[in-house]
Amino acid sequence: MLDPLLDKRLIFVTGKGGVGKSTVTAALGKALASRGKRTLVLETDTFSAMEDLYGYEGTGLEPVKLSETLYASNLLAEDCFVATLTRFVPGERVARAVINNRVARVFFKAAPSVNEVTILDQIRVFYEAEDQGNPRYDHIVVDLPASGHAVTFLNVPATMNGMMRGIGPIAKMTAQVAAIINDPEQTAIAAVCLPEEMPVNETIELASNLKGVLGRPLTLAIANMVHRAPLHDDDRPIFDALLARVRASTPGTSSLLFDEEPTDESDALARLVEGNALALGWHDRDQRYLGELRSHVDAPIIELPIFYETSGDDVVARVARQLGGDSSSLDHPLAI
Amino acid sequence: MTASPRSDANAAPLRHLLDSGRLIVCVGPGGVGKTTTSAAVGLRAAMAGRKTIVMTIDPARRLANSLGLDDLTNDPQQIDLTEALKLTGNKDNGGELWAMMLDSEKTFNDLVDRLAPDKGALKRAKENNIFRLLSSALHGMQEYMALEKLHDLYTGGYFDLVILDTPPTKNALEFLETPGRASTFFDERIIKWFLPNRKSGLLGRVFNPGSIVLGLISKVLGESFVNDLVEFFDTFHYLQETLQQRGELIEFILRDPLTHFFIITSADPRRIKEAVYFHEKLGQLEQRADFFIINRVIPRFHPEDIAAIEDADLDTLLREADHGASAEHISGLRQRLETHYLQLAKLAIRDREAIASLATKVGQEALRLIPLLGEDVHNLTHLLKLSDFITPLEPDARVATAKG
Repeated sequence: MLDPLLDKRLIFVTGKGGVGKSTVTAALGKALASRGKRTLVLETDTFSAMEDLYGYEGTGLEPVKLSETLYASNLLAEDCFVATLTRFVPGERVARAVINNRVARVFFKAAPSVNEVTILDQIRVFYEAEDQGNPRYDHIVVDLPASGHAVTFLNVPATMNGMMRGIGPIAKMTAQVAAIINDPEQTAIAAVCLPEEMPVNETIELASNLKGVLGRPLTLAIANMVHRAPLHDDDRPIFDALLARVRASTPGTSSLLFDEEPTDESDALARLVEGNALALGWHDRDQRYLGELRSHVDAPIIELPIFYETSGDDVVARVARQLGGDSSSLDHPLAI
Repeated sequence: MTASPRSDANAAPLRHLLDSGRLIVCVGPGGVGKTTTSAAVGLRAAMAGRKTIVMTIDPARRLANSLGLDDLTNDPQQIDLTEALKLTGNKDNGGELWAMMLDSEKTFNDLVDRLAPDKGALKRAKENNIFRLLSSALHGMQEYMALEKLHDLYTGGYFDLVILDTPPTKNALEFLETPGRASTFFDERIIKWFLPNRKSGLLGRVFNPGSIVLGLISKVLGESFVNDLVEFFDTFHYLQETLQQRGELIEFILRDPLTHFFIITSADPRRIKEAVYFHEKLGQLEQRADFFIINRVIPRFHPEDIAAIEDADLDTLLREADHGASAEHISGLRQRLETHYLQLAKLAIRDREAIASLATKVGQEALRLIPLLGEDVHNLTHLLKLSDFITPLEPDARVATAKG
């Protein structure tokens, strides 16, 4: 499943809020790391999900080592800003003076796109980092902001560069960053979505915006949390007849399902049938939107089944196994 | 056709809030149906007789369709409530429902057009590189502009109630912190730095403490960028005063006792965790969430149900539908249905546990539950059903209000 990503050193993962983007990012990192590749997973100044997903809480820019090959860090805008400034202002004392100047701080905090540029510059630093002539990281997986913002975010270096008319050290840096981002040979952009209306539409839009604005394709679309069918297609007529019978003999079943009061044991059968009807509805809806996705996005699409584990790192482990090509959890069609 | 009204204790305070509030800000994690829920809240308020507008950030087209519109635009559009009133059997109480979707770029351009002192200033503004960067919807613009629109809608005097749907998580927090941020960007001190000091001449600038930093910035960012920046602030100082005043007014509006915050979430443990984070963040901003609306709650499926069902009975029922199927086939299907049901029941228990943990933090009385409906909300009937779970509509809102 990981084929489109194996030769990419930088992998940006985006997707609408709530689609499991961070979980998939974490799983991707884990899957790549388990192939023996040194993998760095980066968050971009967010409410960190990795605490849940990897069982750690990162502070500072320095990546935390989670296993022999897996590293992670949450790039806080403030830290990246200080790091970038220190790189570009001659002399750390002068840099500190600017950082500690109250007015300058206010300005940089409020000015648009300063955060994005400094975060992307920090990613460039990790990308270029070497140990004894070899790249320090084989893969860098970046959990980008929600896809509505992703293209803008990734386009900030190019925009900034244009604004500076290519003059000055920051302009040079932005040009380097833009070149890395826009190179589909080195850099992958993967979009995570759910098989639902809005996330699918947003992915279709993202793919076309990437082409239009950055002039590069989407590398991969990942449909996450796809519901399994509770029964085989051949059995639908039998199930439909059962559903009709149950609904006829237990009027008001569907409102009974929503009742928050403890319910009567005699309704057990009705609940079992209604529950499966609900699940079948989810499955059908998912398939409809997957069809939309396939017909409108010109990129490989992979499907990840929904997992219901409560703890984040269990879900990550299962998704990582799935991505790594271990489909044992699919053998049992009802595995949840 | 509506679900039976739920006469629970939490419904009355929420209804009161919809009847008296002037602004409801909906925040919450992404992907929980926040926009649709905001629309359902708006629909309920409008049907109870209030002139309501729902401003959304990023709606699904089917939401517009379910409201009888082709699309939502940056201009408020009125929604025809005739059908909704007919469906519920309520009478027209003079309420109105309007909806709009924020277009940051257009709002910003409108703002500049409106505030520019003359045509020359407007022309210069639009040619400035930094202006172009700002108006192409960079980060933060959505938040600034949502507040700008909110200001217009709130102070315009037409609407009784504004419902504001915000972008998810991180952005929504920025949104709440934005009133301060918008005005700091145009902070007088910063403008003074960049504006040519005409009175004191070159020497005056050299000894201006700000200009040392300015020199440093030109070194790093490049001369032409700084020139653009100087020009930008020069052109835009007319915006500064207005934005600052509006920023302050919006801060004031957000603190008004008739402003309420709803946190909309799902029962997924990770989303509940985010909801708690919002709750705490609001606390830090000296605000509080009045209600937590938990959307898409899995119905109460019980694992014990499987034991209560006689396998033989279920097999018989299944066989009645298809006389050709073998006994083995039927029992295979039955096991499949039971296995899947058990998983749903597990999910239902997980939801209830997450909800219970939220209740211990924020109080049971602050929670409203909306069950997971079998299908997407894509027509008015679905939206009405959703709003029934938020707060049931009184048979006749006007009579009830008069009595109360």
